[in-house]
Amino acid sequence: MSWKEVAEPVLSRMPVVERPAGHVPFRRKLMWTAGILLVYFFLTNINPFGLAAGQGSDFFGQFRSVLAGESGSLLQVGIGPIVTASIVLQLLGGANLLGLDTDDPRDQVLYQGLQKLLVIIVTALTAAPMVFTGEFLPADQAVGQALGIGEFGVEVLIFAQIFVGGVLILFMDEIVSKWGVGSGVGLFIIAAVSQQIVGGFFSFSALGAPGFFASWYGIVFGDVPVSLSPFTAEGLQNLLFDPGNVLALFTTVFIFGIVVYAESVRVEIPLSHARVKGARGRFPVKLIYASVLPMILVRALQANVQFLGQILSSQWAGMPGWLGTYSDQGQPLSGLFYYLNPIQSRTEWMWFLGEIPASVEPWMIAVRLAIDLLFMVVGGAIFAIFWVETTGMGPEATAEQIQNSGMQIPGFRRNPQVVEKVMERYIPQVTVIGGALVGLLAVMANLLGTIGQVSGTGLLLAVSITYKLYEEIAEEQLMEMHPMMRQMFGNE
Amino acid sequence: MSSGSNSGGLMSSAGLVRYFDSQDRNAIAINPKTVLAFCVLFGVFVQVLSLTVA
Repeated sequence: MSWKEVAEPVLSRMPVVERPAGHVPFRRKLMWTAGILLVYFFLTNINPFGLAAGQGSDFFGQFRSVLAGESGSLLQVGIGPIVTASIVLQLLGGANLLGLDTDDPRDQVLYQGLQKLLVIIVTALTAAPMVFTGEFLPADQAVGQALGIGEFGVEVLIFAQIFVGGVLILFMDEIVSKWGVGSGVGLFIIAAVSQQIVGGFFSFSALGAPGFFASWYGIVFGDVPVSLSPFTAEGLQNLLFDPGNVLALFTTVFIFGIVVYAESVRVEIPLSHARVKGARGRFPVKLIYASVLPMILVRALQANVQFLGQILSSQWAGMPGWLGTYSDQGQPLSGLFYYLNPIQSRTEWMWFLGEIPASVEPWMIAVRLAIDLLFMVVGGAIFAIFWVETTGMGPEATAEQIQNSGMQIPGFRRNPQVVEKVMERYIPQVTVIGGALVGLLAVMANLLGTIGQVSGTGLLLAVSITYKLYEEIAEEQLMEMHPMMRQMFGNE
Repeated sequence: MSSGSNSGGLMSSAGLVRYFDSQDRNAIAINPKTVLAFCVLFGVFVQVLSLTVA
C-alpha cells in the first residue's frame, strides 16, 4: 500500500498526450497515423550530432527488426525501452506484486505513470552503454576539438539526443494509440520489417547487396555465372541459398500464409442478447489468442541477455571463458552467452555452408538450438498467459465484458460466474497452445532464413499486426457507416 | 445496452503500452500537434547543427 502514496505525486504528474474530446473521424485517425509514420521515417534518417558516421556497429544486431528504430540515427533505441519496461510490468503485474487494480481510476493513473517513468528510465539505461562504451556509437573527435569539449563532452551530447529520440518514440506511440489506428509500437515494427522485406526483394547492386529480383535477373541473363542445376550439390546449394534464395522465398510466403490462416482458426462461443430476441453474436477465442505480441517480450529478454554479454566483454578484460568468448565482430563464440544467443540466420547453423567459425562444434550448435527452442516455446506460452491476464482478455474479464454488453450464452444462466466457467474451458488452453506454436514458428523461420534477412519473429509480428490493423480498420469503417454500432461495441 | 466499463469493446487489441481513459488533473497534458512539431524541429535542428559544425 505504502509505495502508492509515496509515488503518487510523481506518477500522477507524468506528462501525457491529450485525449481527443469527442469521436475522431476515421479519416482523421488515418491522417494522424500516416503523419506519425512520416515523422518516424524522417527521424530514422537523421544522424545524431557529433557521431563519427559509419564507424560504429549496431548494438541491437539481429534484434533490430523486432525492436525497430535505426542504428546510428536519432531513433537508435527504437522500441527497445518500451518493450523492456513492458516485460518488467508484465512480470510484476502477472505475479500481482504491484497491487494495482486496473479497474480503479486512481490506480489506472498510477499504472500509466509508472509505465511512463519505467520507459524513460530504461531509455537512459539502454542509451548509456551504447554511447559511453565507445564502440557502438563512436564520438567524432573533430567535433570535440571544434567545440572544445573533448570526447566525453560529445558523448554526452550524443547521449542526450538519443535519449530525447527514445522519449519521442514513447510519445509518438501515445499519439497513435489515442488519436490514430492501432498502436505506435505495432506501426514501427511493421515499418521496420516492411522496409527490410521490400529491400530484400527490390534492392539492386548499386544500392549495396542485390535483392531477390535483381539476383534472378542476373542469373537469367547470365550476368551471374552460377550453375543452378538441382541435380548437383553445388547447383542445389546455389538455387536454395545465395544467390537463388528459393528457400528464403518459401519461408517468407509460408509464414505469411500460416499466420493469416491461424488468425482465422478459432473456437466460437455463441451469444444471444438477453432482451432483444433474435440478436445473436459469437465470441471468438482465436488460436493465436494472445496475439504474437508476447513474442517480442521473449525476444527482448534474449536480446537483453546478449546486450549484457556485449557490455561485459567490451568492459571486462578478464571475463572468464565459461561466461563467453567473443569474436572481433562482437559475436559470441563459446560459453554461456553463446548458448543463450538465439539462432538468427541459417549461416549460424548450416555447417555445410562453411561460414561457421572453426571453434564451434556441431554439438554446440545443437545445444544452442535446443535452448533457443525451449526458450521460445516455453517463454512464448508463459508470456502469452501473462499477456492475457494483464490486457483484460482472461476468462474473468471477458465474462464481465459479455455481461456488460447485455449478451449471454444461450442455455446458461445470465451470470458472470457462469460465463467465466465456460470461458475457462477454452481461453487458458488456447492461449498456451497458441503461444507455443508462435514460438516454434519463429524459430523455424530463423533457421530457414527469410527474404531481406528479417528475423522470423519480426516477420510473424509484422504479418499479424497488419492483420489486426486490417480488422481494426474494418471495424472503424463499420462504425463510421452505422453510428449505432458504436454503442454496441461499447465505445461512446 | 450499458457500457459501464471503459474497455474498448469486446476484443481488446492493446499495444505494449496501455492507456486508460482516466487522467489525473495534475498531469501535464500535451497537444499531439505540439509533439509532432517538436519531433520535426528536433530533427531539423540536429541536422542543421551537424551541417554547420562538422
